[in-house]
Amino acid sequence: MFRGVLWLLAGRGCVGRGLSTRSGGSTPDWTEKVSEIKKKIQSALPGGPWDPLYDTSHLPPEHSDVVIVGGGVLGLSVAYWLKRLEKPRGAIKVLVVDRDHTYSQASTGLSVGGIRQQFSLPENIQLSLFSVDFLRNINEYLAVVDDPPLDVQFNPSGYLLLASEKGAAIMESNVKVQRQEGAKVCLMSPEQLQNKFPWINTDGVALASYGFSMSSSRMQTSSGKEMTLKRIHEVHVKMDHSLEYQPVECALVINAAGAWSGQVAELAGIGKGPPGTLEGTKLPVEPRKRYVYFWHCPEGPGLETPFMADTSGAYFRREGLGHNYLGGCSPTEEEEPDPGNLEVDHDFFQDKVWPHLAHRVPAFQSLKVRSAWAGYYDYNTFDQNGVVGPHPLVVNMYFATGFSGHGLQQAPAVGRAVAELVLEGQFQTINLSSLLFSRFYLGEKVEERNII
Amino acid sequence: MLKIIIPTVMLIPLTWLSKSNMLWINSTMYSLMISMTCLPLMNQFCDNSLNLSMLFFSDSLSTPLLMLTTWLLPLMIIASQHHMAKEPPTRKKLYITMMILLQIFLIMTFSATELIMFYILFEATLVPTLIMITRWGGQTERLNAGIYFLFYTLAGSLPLLVALIYTQTTLGSLNLLLAQYWIDSSTHIWGNSLLWLAYMMAFMVKMPLYGLHLWLPKAHVEAPIAGSMVLAAILLKLGGYGMLRITMMLSPTINFMAYPFMMLSLWGMVMTSSICLRQTDLKSLIAYSSVSHMALVIMAILIQSPWSFMGATALMIAHGLTSSLLFCLANSNYERTHSRTMILARGLQMILPLMAAWWLLASLTNLALPPSINLIGELFVTVSMFSWSNFSIILLGINIIITALYTLYMLIMTQRGKYTYHIHNIKPSFTRENTLMSLHLVPLLLLMISPKIILGTTY
Repeated sequence: MFRGVLWLLAGRGCVGRGLSTRSGGSTPDWTEKVSEIKKKIQSALPGGPWDPLYDTSHLPPEHSDVVIVGGGVLGLSVAYWLKRLEKPRGAIKVLVVDRDHTYSQASTGLSVGGIRQQFSLPENIQLSLFSVDFLRNINEYLAVVDDPPLDVQFNPSGYLLLASEKGAAIMESNVKVQRQEGAKVCLMSPEQLQNKFPWINTDGVALASYGFSMSSSRMQTSSGKEMTLKRIHEVHVKMDHSLEYQPVECALVINAAGAWSGQVAELAGIGKGPPGTLEGTKLPVEPRKRYVYFWHCPEGPGLETPFMADTSGAYFRREGLGHNYLGGCSPTEEEEPDPGNLEVDHDFFQDKVWPHLAHRVPAFQSLKVRSAWAGYYDYNTFDQNGVVGPHPLVVNMYFATGFSGHGLQQAPAVGRAVAELVLEGQFQTINLSSLLFSRFYLGEKVEERNII
Repeated sequence: MLKIIIPTVMLIPLTWLSKSNMLWINSTMYSLMISMTCLPLMNQFCDNSLNLSMLFFSDSLSTPLLMLTTWLLPLMIIASQHHMAKEPPTRKKLYITMMILLQIFLIMTFSATELIMFYILFEATLVPTLIMITRWGGQTERLNAGIYFLFYTLAGSLPLLVALIYTQTTLGSLNLLLAQYWIDSSTHIWGNSLLWLAYMMAFMVKMPLYGLHLWLPKAHVEAPIAGSMVLAAILLKLGGYGMLRITMMLSPTINFMAYPFMMLSLWGMVMTSSICLRQTDLKSLIAYSSVSHMALVIMAILIQSPWSFMGATALMIAHGLTSSLLFCLANSNYERTHSRTMILARGLQMILPLMAAWWLLASLTNLALPPSINLIGELFVTVSMFSWSNFSIILLGINIIITALYTLYMLIMTQRGKYTYHIHNIKPSFTRENTLMSLHLVPLLLLMISPKIILGTTY
C-alpha cells in the first residue's frame, strides 16, 4: 500500500513534467522521494538526535572534543591524524569548521603545488621528508576500502635551486644540513647543470642544488611575571548566510585557518594587551597575495623538468604533458599587492616574472599565458615559518598555521605533529619545539637561510 | 516516618522562599539535618521490623537504603552547585525541587508497607528523574536517553501492576508485613510462572539485567551530575529492594524460573566488565561498571540463600556510595576540561594531588579491596554462588579480575602519566568538591568497622 502511494506520487510528478522525462528522469526522482520520506520518518523516531522543536541536523553538534577552525589541508591533516593516532577507536570527537565549503579563496586549492626538501631548518626538512613519503604512499594512509586507489598526481621530478655567487656558500652549508637530515640532494656546477638540462642558460649561476629535501635554532629564557591564563569554553559556529549559530562546547580548539588565522586568534583574545608583553603578542599571520601564472610554451623543457627556482626568485614547474607550465615570483616588500581581493595583476608577469624566466630558460622567450590566478599565503610576518603548538596563555588553543607558502607541502607531517601534541602531550616523531608560539614573544626568529 | 517525610516536604517551600545567595546553603544544611533524623531507625528489633504506622515501616533491609537516600540528597545539592551557577534563580529552585520531590518519593517507596503504594511511588520516581535528565542534561542525546529510560522502565513495570492487582483480589491484602507469613503451596502451573515473570520483570529492568540494560549507559551519561548520582546510587537499588521483598511472596515451586535470569546475569556481568575495558568516555565506563555490579546483586537475590541476601544488601549500599563517588569525580573532570573523553584529561595526579587521593580510594573500593564493604558484599555473593553451583566460580573469578583491570585502567589513565598540555591551567579543587568526596568516603570507610548494619534481614 505504501509503495502504491509512492508510485502514484511519482507518476503524478512524471506526468506534470511532460513526456520528455518519462523514460529516464522518473526513476531517480522516485528513489529520491523514498529517501526523503525515510529521512523524515527517521528524524521523528527515537534513535536519532531528535529535537522536538525543529530539525537541527544542519547545525554542528553541541559538543565536540576538538574543534578545528579551518578546513584546508592543514586542518584536515590534523583531523586525519587525530583520528588515526587515537588508540581506542572512537575516542575523540573532532569537528572541522570552515567558512567556505567551496574553498574558493582557500590557499589549499590555489597553491602551485610544489614540494621540496631544500630548507635550511632541520625541522622543515624533516617535515618535508615525511610529507613526501606520505604522498608517495598515499594509498597506505588515505585509501578507502572498496574504492579505487587514490592518485594525487604526485610527479617526483625534483626541485632545482639555483644560486648566484653570493649565495653559493649558504647553499653549500644548507646542503650539508639537508644531507645530515637524510634528504637526497646533489650539488651541481654550471657545466653539469648544462649537461643535464640543456635548456637552461647558466648565466650567473654558481651552484645548483638538485634534490628532494634542511636547521638551526637558538634559545633564550627570560623572567616571568603574573599572567592570566584563559580557556576557550565554546566556539560559536555561525551558519552561512543566516543569523543562526550553534555554540559548540569543546575541550580544544586548533587554529588552522590559514591566511585568516590572525583574525581567528584575535577572536580568542590573543594579542589584546599592552605591546611587548605576552598578552600583547599577536599571532603575526596575515594574508599576502601571490600570483600564479599558467602558460604554454611549445619548445619548453620536457618531462625531466624539475621545479626550478631561479636566483632572482622566479620559479616554475611543468604541468601535465602538453608543454604547459605554472610559475610565479614572490614580490619584494615594496611591491606587495593588496590582499583585499584575489584580482590578478598581469603586468606583474610582464615586468617581473617573464624577464627572469626568459633569461634563465631561453625557450621561454616565446610563451603564451593561458590563465592566471591569485592565492593567499598565510604569511608569517615574523620569520616566514609555521607556528605549531599551544598558546601559552589561552591554554586550549593550538596553532597549525603561518607556513607562508610551504604549508601544503608540510601539511601531513604538521598534522601528525599536532595530533601527537594533543594525544601524547609532546612531539613524538618530529620535534617542532622551535616553532612554538612563544618565539614571537621572546623575539627569536627561526628563519630559513635561503639563497634569495 | 513522618518525622522524616514532613521535613523533606517542607524543604520545597524552603527552596522557593530562600534568598538567592542562601539557596544552596539552606537546602544543603537542612537536608543534612534530615539525614540525621534517619539514624534512630537503625535501632531495630532483631526479630522483626519497626512498624511505625499503617502505611510505613522500616526493617533492617530498608533502613540502610533509607539512610543512603537521605544522605545522598545533600551530596546531590553540593555537586550541582557549579553547573547550575549560571542559571536564573527560578531554574535553580526548580532543579532543587525536582531533587527533593525525588527524595520524598524514594523515602516513601523504601518504607512503604502496602505494595500498591510501593508501586505508585516506584513509578512516580521516574518523573522527576526524567525531567532532570531531559531538561538539564548535557547534550542532544539526552532526549534519546530520557525516552529509553522512561519507556524501558514503564514497559517493565506494567506487568507488575497487573500482578499486584491480581494478588490483591485473590489474597485480599498486599501488606508486606503479612506477606512474610503466607505459606504458598500452590502447584506448578503456567499461571504461577507468568505471575513470577510479571513480578520480576519490573525489577529486572530497573537493576538492570544484562539484556535489558540498554537504557542505563544512555541515562547515566547524559544526565546531569545529580541525576547520575541518584540513578546510580538509589534508583538501581529500588529494583534490588523490590526483588528482595517480592521473592518472599512468590511460590518456591517456581524457582526454576530464575535460571534464564541467572545465566543472563552471569554472562552479562563478564560482558559489561569487558566493555568497560574498551570505553573511551569516562562516565560510560562507570555506567557499565554499575551494570556489572548489579548483575551480582541479581544473582544473589535469585538464589535466595541467607548468605546471598546479606551479600546483596551489603553490595547495594557499598555500590551506591562508590558509584556515586566515581560519578562525582568524573564530573569534576568534566567541569574543568569540558570533555568526557579520558585521553584528553590525563596525568591529573601531578596537578590535583588531593583529588588523586579521592580517585585512588574510590578505585580501591570499586575493585572490592579488603576490608571494604564492597568486598564483603562480593565475597558473600561469590561464596553463596559457589555453593549453588561449582562452575559459577569461573565466571565470578573472571569478573573480579576484569573489574580490577578496568578500575585500574581508569585510575592510571586519568591520574598517572604525563599530563596533557591544555590542562595545566585548570582551577584547583574546590573545598566544596573535597567535601563532597569525603562525605561519600566517610560512610564507606566507617562501615568497615561494623558492617552488620548493612547486612539486611538474614544477619
